[in-house]
Amino acid sequence: MRCSGSTPLASRRDFLARAGLGVGSAALAHLLGGCTTAPASSASGGLPGLPHFAPKARRVICLFQSGGPSHLDLLDPKPELERQFDKDLPDSIRRGQRITGMVASQARLACQPSRFKFTRHGKAGTEFSELIPHIAGIADDICVIRSMHTEAINHDPAITFFQTGSQLPGRPSMGAWTDYGLGRMNDDLPSFVVLVSTNKDRSGQGLLARLWGSGFLPSAHQGVQFRSAGEPVLYLRDHDGMTRERRGALVGAANELNRIHLAAAGDPETAARIAQAEMAYRMQASVPELMDLSREDKATLESYGPDVGAPGSFARNCLLARRLAEKGVRFIQLYHRDWDHHGGLHDQLPKMARDVDQPAAALVRDLKRRGMLEDTLVIWGGEFGRTPYAQGGANREKYGRDHHGKAFSIWMAGGGIRGGMVHGASDAFGFNAEQDPVHIHDLQATILHCLGVDHERLTYRFQGRQFRLTDVHGKVVKAVLA
Amino acid sequence: MKSTFFLIVFAAYAGAADKLDFNRDIRPILSDNCFACHGFDAKKRKADLRLDLPQGAYAVNDGVQAVKPGDPEGSELIRRILSKDPEEIMPTPESHKKLTPAQIGTLRRWIAEGAAYRKHWSFEPPSRPPVPGGGEGLGPIDAFLREELAKHGLKPSPEADRERLIRRATLDLTGLPPTPAEVDAFLADSAPGAYERVVERLLGSVRYGEHMARGWLDAARYADTHGLHLDNERSMWPYRDWVVQAFNENLPFDKFTTWQLAGDLLPNPTREQRVASGFNRCNVTTSEGGSINDELLFRYAVDRTETAMGVWMGLTAGCAVCHDHKFDPVTTKEFYSLYAFYYSAADPGFDGNILLTPPVLQLASPEQEKTLKEFDVRIAARQKAVRDAIVSLKYVDPATLTPPPPVRTGETVWFEDAFPAKAKVGVAGGPTTFVEAGQGPVHSGKRALKRTAKGVAQDYFANGASFVIPPNGVISVWTYLDPADLPKSIMLQFHVGGWNHRAFWGEEGAIPFGKVRTPEKVNMGKLPEAGKWTQLKVDIAKLGLKPGMKVDGFAFTQFDGTVTWDRLAISHRIDEAKDLQWSFKVWSEKKQGSRVAELPTDLQNLVRGKKAAQWTEAERKRLLDWWLENEFQGGRETLDGLRAEKLAEESRRKALADQIPATLVMADLPQPRQAHVMTRGQYDKPGEPVTRGVPAAFHPLPKKETYDRRDLAEWFLSPANPLTARVTVNRLWQQFFGTGLVKTSGDFGSQGDPPSHPELLDWLAVEFRETGWDVKRLIRSFVTSAAYRQSAAATPEMLAKDPENRLLARGPRSRLDAEVIRDQALFVSGLLSPRVGGKGVKPYQPDNVWEPVGFTGSNTARYVRDSGEALYRRSLYTFWKRTAPPPSMTAFDAPAREASCVRRERSNTPLQALALMNDVQHVEAARAFAQRILKEGGPSDGARAAFAWRTAVGRRPRAEETAVTLGALAAHRARYVAKPEDAKKLVAFGDSKPDPALPADELAAWTLTAGLLLNLDETLNR
Repeated sequence: MRCSGSTPLASRRDFLARAGLGVGSAALAHLLGGCTTAPASSASGGLPGLPHFAPKARRVICLFQSGGPSHLDLLDPKPELERQFDKDLPDSIRRGQRITGMVASQARLACQPSRFKFTRHGKAGTEFSELIPHIAGIADDICVIRSMHTEAINHDPAITFFQTGSQLPGRPSMGAWTDYGLGRMNDDLPSFVVLVSTNKDRSGQGLLARLWGSGFLPSAHQGVQFRSAGEPVLYLRDHDGMTRERRGALVGAANELNRIHLAAAGDPETAARIAQAEMAYRMQASVPELMDLSREDKATLESYGPDVGAPGSFARNCLLARRLAEKGVRFIQLYHRDWDHHGGLHDQLPKMARDVDQPAAALVRDLKRRGMLEDTLVIWGGEFGRTPYAQGGANREKYGRDHHGKAFSIWMAGGGIRGGMVHGASDAFGFNAEQDPVHIHDLQATILHCLGVDHERLTYRFQGRQFRLTDVHGKVVKAVLA
Repeated sequence: MKSTFFLIVFAAYAGAADKLDFNRDIRPILSDNCFACHGFDAKKRKADLRLDLPQGAYAVNDGVQAVKPGDPEGSELIRRILSKDPEEIMPTPESHKKLTPAQIGTLRRWIAEGAAYRKHWSFEPPSRPPVPGGGEGLGPIDAFLREELAKHGLKPSPEADRERLIRRATLDLTGLPPTPAEVDAFLADSAPGAYERVVERLLGSVRYGEHMARGWLDAARYADTHGLHLDNERSMWPYRDWVVQAFNENLPFDKFTTWQLAGDLLPNPTREQRVASGFNRCNVTTSEGGSINDELLFRYAVDRTETAMGVWMGLTAGCAVCHDHKFDPVTTKEFYSLYAFYYSAADPGFDGNILLTPPVLQLASPEQEKTLKEFDVRIAARQKAVRDAIVSLKYVDPATLTPPPPVRTGETVWFEDAFPAKAKVGVAGGPTTFVEAGQGPVHSGKRALKRTAKGVAQDYFANGASFVIPPNGVISVWTYLDPADLPKSIMLQFHVGGWNHRAFWGEEGAIPFGKVRTPEKVNMGKLPEAGKWTQLKVDIAKLGLKPGMKVDGFAFTQFDGTVTWDRLAISHRIDEAKDLQWSFKVWSEKKQGSRVAELPTDLQNLVRGKKAAQWTEAERKRLLDWWLENEFQGGRETLDGLRAEKLAEESRRKALADQIPATLVMADLPQPRQAHVMTRGQYDKPGEPVTRGVPAAFHPLPKKETYDRRDLAEWFLSPANPLTARVTVNRLWQQFFGTGLVKTSGDFGSQGDPPSHPELLDWLAVEFRETGWDVKRLIRSFVTSAAYRQSAAATPEMLAKDPENRLLARGPRSRLDAEVIRDQALFVSGLLSPRVGGKGVKPYQPDNVWEPVGFTGSNTARYVRDSGEALYRRSLYTFWKRTAPPPSMTAFDAPAREASCVRRERSNTPLQALALMNDVQHVEAARAFAQRILKEGGPSDGARAAFAWRTAVGRRPRAEETAVTLGALAAHRARYVAKPEDAKKLVAFGDSKPDPALPADELAAWTLTAGLLLNLDETLNR
């Protein structure tokens, strides 16, 4: 707790002692715990009985790559496409899979090889594209899954599916579920933090606040977006003419009056409000401190690449993710946009990869150096991959690819995941997840498993049934566990 | 945790006295633990055993009987529950479910008592139960409540004091607090019926309808954007205003229902009835490129079905989209029979990202309607003239000619050294000024137009000269920006009947004209480099200018800065053999496979779905005719004049139509679509065809050939319907008492909570229906009940026995809704605008809320805040963008409005504390409130503190509260006297200006004190 003797605010314990309800402190603590939002205290909130078993990961950093990065040009080499250049995708591969409205009128689906070179890295000799040399450099720490598959073929439903387990809006996101289930690990920051990075060449992919929403869970579990422009947290900075000292005095006076009211009206929600005002006051100090990189050493800053100096860059957000992890934030969700390369992939993909490659690898290395990788789960991936056939005509140099959910690739590292391995495989065309397919719900089940949560037992009753992140599906992918 | 408490209270009571009740005591246990495998869903049923029906439970299979009435030990169910064998034990270990010893005891007792089954309580139509006697002078509500309280050994609380009571009633009925004068009047009214008179006054206030509408709009998932992908603006607000009006006029709930579900189908529907049918159009829609039409149509119909079933019947029908409902009697086939009522809706799958996705209703005044009709007649006549002329045209495709026709180019100058000779030039700002070389920059000719401005300024004409738009036109203009005095934005505007065509460079929000992302306001990018002449070019197609249109005015517009304009001209280049507007062949090849929005639907599908080679001759001919009529730019001698006339009329019509509000309404296709069961809820797996119908477990529809949404509405409202009346009174009860009699107000199915007071719920439901679905009457009965009027103070005993206050041994207390918190602050401060209705407004919002989530192509990608009165409207009127709703609302649990919501959460977070501390609208309100305190509060600090408490909290402060308030004030005052610059900054926050007569340090000190009171827990609760 940051409450020093000079602050006018009472600590929670002081408050409990002074609140003056005619009940014992155990009963009062119980009442407080029963509020919609648990007041701040170490490791508070969460459900009884959770975690279900000893967790490998205490926190998650999800580096979500929105738009559908091409697995065929980054993580999943397909020499067969080279041989099949400009030939029709065989029906035996397509198997009647629906295609998007964008290529439905295209006369043919011509196979499109990658123009980028793949080489082997790490002890296992995993192949990576030349576009991601830094990620290739951490090959021994990461597990590449090449057999991901999803159900949606458009961004909005597919991203929603990845983040909430349902294509339709209204379900809680992964971070909300973990906060609901496991509670918080720190006093001064929210438990589920979202960072959205902006691109240098922004093409305009949207991101919706519901992706970090709490759905039907109480809204206290929703992600808090730390913004890169303006204030990091909405309404955090005191308005003009206000000082920290005056703010402290105001919160103190308000809570003094609130305590008088609590004694008279006896509603435990009043006690919760007192605690939340104090938390807000602490966040006014803790969040700017978190965002202030002046005490990061030069080598660390440089390791994240030149963009780290730019607020809102992916590099800066990766560094902030590490800092959040250090402070005990449970679920850190990054978004990086614009992987949607229907055309001009040859030109745009290298730029995107350059923005992301070094910072993502640096984050894993930084966590490792600090001994945090073993209990921090890092996930890198998008909502789907891209088609092995070209959108438009096949071309050696210039090409684009459409959305594709039947097979794509992601990687994971740390927190209970076995490094230096490849799990699963797509077919020779990279079209179907052929060997050991991993469905989005399986991935979600695995993430929860790493956190010590049985995905079938983390449920919430809403509209007459027990809902869970994985709906009625999902199997933990045991093969990737350390 | 709270609900566990309550169940224990309940169970203890049940155990003590009466015989067990199947629905209250047994069904929840079976439903939770057994029905998933032994319930309604035939596909998931295990061991062919169903426990949801007595026939299934009592059946003897291979000598084994699951439930043997009267004999727990002979019942397999009990044996399996008690079994230690993991192969035998129920529920199975994999289900992760486990019965408590108390539950096992209850099941045992139930079987011993005869294992009586009853239909799920809410599926039996309510009948009016007798009102319990005993209470002197108690109304029915209190009679039922007292009986239950007595059973639990609790006593009602005394009536709240009058100050708290009028505050509660006023906030609950109008969403605003009472004024001190209203409180005084109530305190002074010693005649009997004083409180009832207050209630009547409040029910008659226009604020009542606004407040009541809010809750309904959550259920209706009302918003001002489409909700998916681009999330562009949608015009739906006339529906919102209709809801306000309906509550204020106390439209009976049966009409309220029918109009919204089927207003469009009523005979000769009135404007209100059609607007009301917009309820069905409030769902989220998309126009995302890769979407599949069938899937969208499927999803919209599913959403509409789920919403109607949820809002009126409290059933979670959505489960049955994919499989038979596991708990409630809705099979998949029955779900799709309901869905069939909606599957023939006339609105398209792709919303087109437009403001008014058809069908829409223009809400024109009678004069406007007449003028529009006149336009239509004239346009039709011009259209016919064009069509007639085409017949005489002998079209030869230039792409088929060898050699191809020569390339032609040309340029017409519109502005050089002067406006056109007869143009009537107008200005906004100082007089029009031309500079000659030596006086300022000139690019060509002798002179250039130069202007220095603060804010928006312009030179223009809209009368006296005109120019015809050539095909493939490119408009160009030279500009010079003064590097020492940069504008925020510059704009070219063109007048064709109205000002509908604009191009701008620089900041989007600076010059306020035109709808963004439409030809009315086209973003051309950054400002040109300052300090040098730059030629800016605009393609006419981008501005929606069509060849043949007559431009009869243009404007040079800027925001701030010094700008010089020179030589406005239009050039064209025509290569007929390669031009979409000369060669039908080139056009067909280019457009094939894409969506051509201008085409009629059937031709659109043709061009999109079928290759040119496969078109039949008749199809080709129709398309060619359309193309000649609308696109072809050759044959000018024949067509030009005619087409220009038509375009001019259309342009004038549009200028008028744009001023007329319109709203999305419901309509069905003339030919219904065939609905199917969608296998496993997949849009591309149509199974068995279905016709419109209702679930068999409920009362049937009357026998008829065909049904439509009117029949569905009647079915909801039928006395045989067990749910609609109960669900409705419960939702309203929840609004006034904090929690519904059925806590799960969105789920009355077997997984929902049982009612705390079943008889009261039924009595209210029957009463509501039989007294003409009178909403105000129902609400009056709530707020005049003794239960509502009780003091809300909670003792530890009450908290221990009934933490959620379900039994109402004390008055209701809960945090105000998001909108009420903001409206209250505005009201108390005197800033609130009383204006009712109209288009959504954009009040204060922090920067970067829309921008990071928005697609750059969206017309709601950037938040351009309003100013003046629009900042202070009731929150009901705040523009609602679904993908980024107002943060000051969502922080206090307003739903995103993506899906129907009948019960809001009430969270309590640090972000709420931050919003109340620092949101400019709260700080500004505190300042304005401080001004009132200083002017109206009396001469002394003490009198002012009392006034502030009475205005914000609704009561006089206690001595200790006054002491804390004055202590805080003194400390603030001392600090601001010492730091006057801080005081000036604080009081200048917000758009409205502080009263200069008040000293800044005093005003600042009171601003913080006012903010303190506005943020108190007591102020935020009622």
